[in-house]
Amino acid sequence: METIRVNETPVRTSRNFLINNVKLDSNILPEKIENFENVSIIGETSKIKIEKEINNCSLTYGLGDILTSQVDEKANQKLKLQVEGKTNQDIQISFELDEDNPNLIDMIDITAKENTKATIIIKYETNKAVQAFHNGIIKVLAEKNAELKVIIVNNTNLMSNHFISIENMIHENAKVDYTMIDFGGKNSITNYYSNLVGKNADNHINTIYLGRENQFFDLNYIGELRGEKSNINIEVQGALKDNAKKNFKGTIDFKKGCKKATGNENEACLLLSEQAKSLALPMLLCSEEEVEGNHSSSAGKVGDKELFYIMSRGFEKKEAMKLLVRAKFNNIIDTIKNDDLKTEILDEIEERLD
Amino acid sequence: MSKTKINDINRNIYDIKNKDEYDFKIKKGLTKDIIEEISKQKNDPEWMKEFRLKALEVYNQLELPTWGPDISELNMEEIATYVRPKTSLNNSWDDVPEDIKSTFDKLGIPDAEKTSLAGVGAQYDSEVVYHSMKEELIKQGVIYTDMETAVREYPDLVKKHFMKCVPIYDHKFVALHGAVWSGGSFVYVPKGVKVDIPLQSYFRLNSPESGQFEHTLIIVDEGASLHFIEGCSAPKYNKVNLHAGCVELYVKENAYLRYSTIENWSKNMLNLNTKKAIVEKNAQVDWVTGSFGSKISMLYPMSILNGEGAKTEYTGISFAGEGQNLDTGFKVVHNSPNTSSVVNSKSISKNGGKCTYRSLVRINETATHSKSSVSCESLMLDDISISDTIPVNDIRTDEVEFSHEAKIGKISDKTIFYLMSRGLSEEDAKAMIVRGFAYPISKELPVEYAVEMNNLINLELEGAIG
Repeated sequence: METIRVNETPVRTSRNFLINNVKLDSNILPEKIENFENVSIIGETSKIKIEKEINNCSLTYGLGDILTSQVDEKANQKLKLQVEGKTNQDIQISFELDEDNPNLIDMIDITAKENTKATIIIKYETNKAVQAFHNGIIKVLAEKNAELKVIIVNNTNLMSNHFISIENMIHENAKVDYTMIDFGGKNSITNYYSNLVGKNADNHINTIYLGRENQFFDLNYIGELRGEKSNINIEVQGALKDNAKKNFKGTIDFKKGCKKATGNENEACLLLSEQAKSLALPMLLCSEEEVEGNHSSSAGKVGDKELFYIMSRGFEKKEAMKLLVRAKFNNIIDTIKNDDLKTEILDEIEERLD
Repeated sequence: MSKTKINDINRNIYDIKNKDEYDFKIKKGLTKDIIEEISKQKNDPEWMKEFRLKALEVYNQLELPTWGPDISELNMEEIATYVRPKTSLNNSWDDVPEDIKSTFDKLGIPDAEKTSLAGVGAQYDSEVVYHSMKEELIKQGVIYTDMETAVREYPDLVKKHFMKCVPIYDHKFVALHGAVWSGGSFVYVPKGVKVDIPLQSYFRLNSPESGQFEHTLIIVDEGASLHFIEGCSAPKYNKVNLHAGCVELYVKENAYLRYSTIENWSKNMLNLNTKKAIVEKNAQVDWVTGSFGSKISMLYPMSILNGEGAKTEYTGISFAGEGQNLDTGFKVVHNSPNTSSVVNSKSISKNGGKCTYRSLVRINETATHSKSSVSCESLMLDDISISDTIPVNDIRTDEVEFSHEAKIGKISDKTIFYLMSRGLSEEDAKAMIVRGFAYPISKELPVEYAVEMNNLINLELEGAIG
């Protein structure tokens, strides 16, 4: 069996720890990439210019040469978005993978110009029957004082493979927030990289993942702080049922010159079965003295005391468990202001916890 | 503004160089002939000679680590792996040659033996030159001797345990150790015997362009307890020296072992050491480690909690100054139910030094109801130094409590302000904070080492922190 190695950590550790990269069967790559038609864009677009041509796919990290070149050479969806004003309305881009459109290779390039504001929702969904493949790149450039919120929902089915590389360049006083809802894929592999170059550049990443059956998640988040007083916050909350497995690799890297920068990383994994597995590598790298970096990581089952308390209020164990998992996710779900999307996500959580 | 300076470690005591005089020094390099010659010189039994040759084979097959500090400057063709000093093993300091005795005198070993130790082993280059233990421990059946004597006199015990806890396949430098090991200590504490006063082995490497490969094997039998202290140092030379020792600890049911290390190698030393403990039912091993010396260290003591209710604690501090890259940490594998581990690690980087905390906590499927708590803090004293934290947390079952916390940063302005508002000068406030930072570690050390560590973190009131 030929394998491909993807999602390398920025700094290696012992091979025996099984976390430097992920090895996957090369057969998961589709032989042929057809056109992809099922994409819809809805919402307020008067302040966002949309084009369908992008030339540059280069990434600092990404998932690895094979997957990056696949996007570079074979992308069947390209979107270039330029935010040119302030808008309180969301724009939603939905990709639906089905039998006629099983393979999506997409490249989305977003530029938030100076002093602009926007929320962009990107959804990847599959219908139940298709064995789909998604490999995409999202690149974001946030110029001075821009404010951009990106919500990514991965709701691909358990037969599909989902790969995504995200790269952000954040300038002075710009603020980029991500909310990532990761439900899907047999394999769901994410590479996220933020380069906070500007003074006061700010980046928040809030992630929920919920794994079941034999799902595998590999989340590799890298934040490099270069600007003075820049800040990054990584919050990852997840739950794993059945035989699901998750790798979380989070790196906050304080580069020389990022005086008074701050970085916080919190990763918590609820294990809802004896077979579920959580592997975490929360890294702090520091070449600057005047900074503050913290990380915390935890794993374990739902607390017996909390469970008992809720059950003593008349809930059955299963319901009490669901409530507790949802409570863990609530802070992140509340960052989504779009009520329809919020309801959709809550319903999906409900169904997946059943 | 007057600023505070944290001095480099005063190395005057450790840097005493004796003349490079020896009884025998193997030629540099690593070949089958060299290994056979070492085996001959050491009068090995046949099984040990075969073992060395097998280890050499494995060494040649294994790759260098693809992670961690750059150790490409290590050229085994330039290292003599065996240097026999001009003396045999003695049990009286009076019989140790004057220049060697004087070195250990200056390091305070004979004095410590008189006042606070139950036994002492002293190794000079590749061989142990002094070994002694209090009479009452001998009567209780405690064995504390050099490894060569153990191979000869307790062959069954040694064969059963030697490089079984740390197999030669673990990594390249363990294989190297297996091929060229020499010296080190063997300790056996019989069932139920409590050794209340510590035993200490001190390892001194004097010879330039050479390596030290001592092997420490400790078996603490059921219900017994021991505190073992390991110290190491070397004078500085211009070329690389290598230390690739190996420590194997077997802690049987209900037994307790505390293993303390003060590592103060010279700044031309590559310290690629391996330490591992197998901990059985309701037993406990505690590691206390202070890493101050060496140019490069790669050192990650490991506890394997095999028995139900087994426990381990790791308390460690690293202090990296100019030109130093100290990559240290801890590994623990929980294999049985109700096991627990507690990790408390601190590091201080200054003058361009680099400290890395690297770790593994693995809680296997079989280790239900286990607990693990990890805390690591790093203090940066200037903006040319580096401090990294690279922990891996591998949790394979749900019935566990696991938490990990890490902090990185400089001395907090708020804390300085608070202390100054209580009447302390800025310098005293900073000094107090640094001492306070190191205190949780220094309080775990034997008192004479705690004093030494405080001296190492010596504060002067003129100069610069940050």
